Amino acid sequence: MIRTQAHGDVWEISLARAEKRNALTPEMLASLKQAILAAPNSGKALLLSGEGAVFCAGFDLSLCKESPEGEVMRSLLIGLHACVTVLCELDIPVVIAAQGAAIAGGCAVLGGGDVIVTNADAKLGYPVARLGVSPAVSAPFLANLAGVGAARVRQLENGLIDGRTALACGLAHECLDRAEDVHPRALDLARQLAAKPASALAATKRWLREIAPITSADDGLHASLSLVGGEEERRMLPFAWNTSR
Amino acid sequence: MSLATLTTSGPVTTLTLNRADARNALSIDLLRDLHGAIDTLAAAAAAPNAPHVLVVTGAGKAFCAGMDLKAVLGNNDLALELLTSLAKLTVKVRMLPMVSVAKVNGAAIGGGCGLSCVCDLAITHADAKLGYPEVDLGVCPAVVAPWLVRKVGAGRARKILLIGGLMSGREAHACGMVDVLCESASDLDTKADEIVKRLATGGPQALAATKKLLNELDGSLDESIVLKGAKLSASVLATPDAQQRLRAKLGA
Repeated sequence: MIRTQAHGDVWEISLARAEKRNALTPEMLASLKQAILAAPNSGKALLLSGEGAVFCAGFDLSLCKESPEGEVMRSLLIGLHACVTVLCELDIPVVIAAQGAAIAGGCAVLGGGDVIVTNADAKLGYPVARLGVSPAVSAPFLANLAGVGAARVRQLENGLIDGRTALACGLAHECLDRAEDVHPRALDLARQLAAKPASALAATKRWLREIAPITSADDGLHASLSLVGGEEERRMLPFAWNTSR
Repeated sequence: MSLATLTTSGPVTTLTLNRADARNALSIDLLRDLHGAIDTLAAAAAAPNAPHVLVVTGAGKAFCAGMDLKAVLGNNDLALELLTSLAKLTVKVRMLPMVSVAKVNGAAIGGGCGLSCVCDLAITHADAKLGYPEVDLGVCPAVVAPWLVRKVGAGRARKILLIGGLMSGREAHACGMVDVLCESASDLDTKADEIVKRLATGGPQALAATKKLLNELDGSLDESIVLKGAKLSASVLATPDAQQRLRAKLGA
């Protein structure tokens, strides 16, 4: 459910579960992490994309049905945290094609992107507190991407925003009119980046990590984990499969 | 004649980069004169009725075309001296108690764009060209990066610095690198005067105290970061790859 392909100097990793809106499973997150770690660390650009109409609708919460103790949710959160962390540690530029939707865990992945392209009608955000789930796992990455003020609003507002609002608040860097233009544009940007001097890009990425580090990433994960399997989550999470999405 | 001219009118001082024939590119000499001008302002700042708004602008068509790298090609010590001088200047400008306004009259590139971001406010017109093309030349924009991060946040800074190239004044305004946008260059003077007039109505002590706090909040006064940036930038600049690209670009 993770596909890797090379387009010349662009290394593309795709979420390939279009029939489920690329909803993330623990296995997908494990494969995604491996794919990111396998990416070349010089001379290329990474393009992260989702096949089909939307980039990623978040965790596949239907899997949590079978594990009321929260084992699945725990591995989803840990897997997500690991994926975004390894994305952030890459020395090659990361472009994300976020067409259609980047919701909850899917929105969290944006925290690992250097250049994020979306479209005007896309839906982005973290509407998971309504399910008794804390999105805190992605807060440290979101705060680095869009600033602590925007992170606070997005994490607590419990709703979705469109692509233009995402552009305005720093969650995306380009917003196109049409969803079908997002992937070609992101690929084009990744090609432009891959053509730039690799050592200068790597030095710049490392320097930015040094002067603007992601802080409290482990605290974010633990805040989310602390609620897993608790009374509130057990009561609220079934909304995810009892209501149509 | 000094390459950095100060003119004062009431509460407003204008600092003009005066090297129009080189698009105000930052040479060792221009940076030395800029240091001199900022030192003069800092020394006079405590006097009663001292100016409490500073406008920084460029003579001629450009605001500042960036580091004058042609003169330091092949000389790593001189390159480090140039970058260190810029690094120290940025902190000095930021530490001034008066509010600073970058009046970006034209191109603001690399170190020039950095100078604009160091100021408290930046104003430009839709057709000006701004940005950080360092990575395109194999160079690392390490001295200016902390100021861009403080201006637009880490996420946008990452995008801007990695994509490189230049953007229009309009795009710079959209991503927060510029605070006030005029539609055309001919409106810039009027608009800048309007902003400056408003700033000048503020109490000098209130503005200075606020600026000092903001500088503490965002780590602006930590000179060690930009000095480390200067060393990093110089070390990347010294690589054969960067030297070759710069030679090709500068025709040297």
